[in-house]
Amino acid sequence: MDQDIAAGGAVCVDPVIRLEAVDAAYEGEPVATLRGIELSVAAGERVAVIGPNGAGKTTLLEVVNGLLPATAGTAWVFGRRVDREGNWLRARIGYMAQELFFEPSTPFLVGDVVAAAQYGQIGWLRRPGREEKARVRAALEAVGILDLARRPIGRLSGGQQRKALLARAVAQDAHLLLLDEPTANLDPEAKLDVARIVREIEARLDATALVVTHEGGPLLQDADRFVRLEAGRITHDESIAGASSMLAMMGV
Amino acid sequence: MTLVFGLPWHIVFPTLAGSVLVGILCSLMGTMVVRMNLSSLGFAMSHAAFAGAALGLMLSMADPIWLAVLFSVATAAVLGPLADLSRMNTDTVVGAVFPLAMALGLIFINKAPSAGVGSGALSLLWGSVLGITMQQVMILLIVLAVVLLGVAAFGKEVLALLLDRKLARASGIPIRRVSYGVLFLVAIVVAVSMRVTGGLLIYALMILPASAAFQWVYDIKKVLVLAPILGVASSLVGFVLSMTADLPIGSSIAVSAAALFLLSTALSPKRRRIG
Repeated sequence: MDQDIAAGGAVCVDPVIRLEAVDAAYEGEPVATLRGIELSVAAGERVAVIGPNGAGKTTLLEVVNGLLPATAGTAWVFGRRVDREGNWLRARIGYMAQELFFEPSTPFLVGDVVAAAQYGQIGWLRRPGREEKARVRAALEAVGILDLARRPIGRLSGGQQRKALLARAVAQDAHLLLLDEPTANLDPEAKLDVARIVREIEARLDATALVVTHEGGPLLQDADRFVRLEAGRITHDESIAGASSMLAMMGV
Repeated sequence: MTLVFGLPWHIVFPTLAGSVLVGILCSLMGTMVVRMNLSSLGFAMSHAAFAGAALGLMLSMADPIWLAVLFSVATAAVLGPLADLSRMNTDTVVGAVFPLAMALGLIFINKAPSAGVGSGALSLLWGSVLGITMQQVMILLIVLAVVLLGVAAFGKEVLALLLDRKLARASGIPIRRVSYGVLFLVAIVVAVSMRVTGGLLIYALMILPASAAFQWVYDIKKVLVLAPILGVASSLVGFVLSMTADLPIGSSIAVSAAALFLLSTALSPKRRRIG
């Protein structure tokens, strides 16, 4: 049963994510990428999603925010059905896609990339006001790239681009973060930096997080729980504390 | 009587005003077309508009441009969802529609009553210096007002879409509605602009000034201002070239726009930084 854990907040519902017997498949794929997924994520929890390539980790994130519709079963986020209120929910979920890096010629400044994250929330026919602009500034400051606000996004390093995408979640005031390999393709120093910022943002937003990773390190160590996917099914769902053998297997 | 390029001002003015308006309209929408990778769909729409106008000519309509609008919008309405739903390669879309639209256009012109074929058919293909009336200028003005209102009302949604389609969707923008809105406006702009540049060259004015603007600045808001300036510059240079050298106006505008694009590419600060 859903339970409001804070007054007045439509986004403060526990569990934050609830998947019931969810199947999902990409268009044209004969076999479902996800099969019979049952998952419940409590408010404030960080769940690490691990598993081999092609196990369905990215698909799981896309089903949670409705970018990919479930072909069977039902997904709820903040107590709302994802298939019915996808746009409303997506405007309030901080999402970082794994493969998204901006081309050097991308004609957008960092500040505008972060500001654009709020546009779905603001609604039709309204322009961003003083409050929204202040939130963009605060978001850039929170991830330490305020001085880059007027720089073209495509001119930033991979680590800086990741920070700009994390700043979008702060600008959205997102209480749910879906992060797909946030430290992939970064050098070791940038990995640590991004992992630290993820931690800070989670605390700042009091956010629940689903973080896909296939590496050990801080992203996994900071999690409360991990879910292992294999061939589209959840094979392990344990607290990090009770999963020493699994972590050892991953070299953590 | 005031003469400009040897012609009375009241004859030159509508063409001049039409060229400027088409320059603004095409390059502004062109910015969205280029950034949203709609070039192939737009190319298909411009040729459908040509076929529609040719049908209007065959039916001896007073203003064949309305059939051009109908054909162009219908093409957007059919091909937009088709490309979206079937993830169809846009090259396939062009490959299918371009020859069909051209063939239909030429059949319609061939079957048109002989009186209408000469200058009317040529102006549909290549544009016409003297083919623009004040009524057509008013239509262009109304379309420009609609486009500017649309950009003012839904600017942030369009900007989000111009940044990245998936990112826009992930932040709650109803991208399908917004992109169909853009496609619909492109279809109308293509059709009403073809009187100046002709159906075959309208796309030069849509793609080249926008692409040139992208060479100069990194800020999309500045691109949306610079592209219409370059579009108007292309139109005016083309207009003067056409009047002084007695060239078809559509071709003159296309050549000016292409020269501006090549110059922008050669002098682009982005290119210097990469190189």
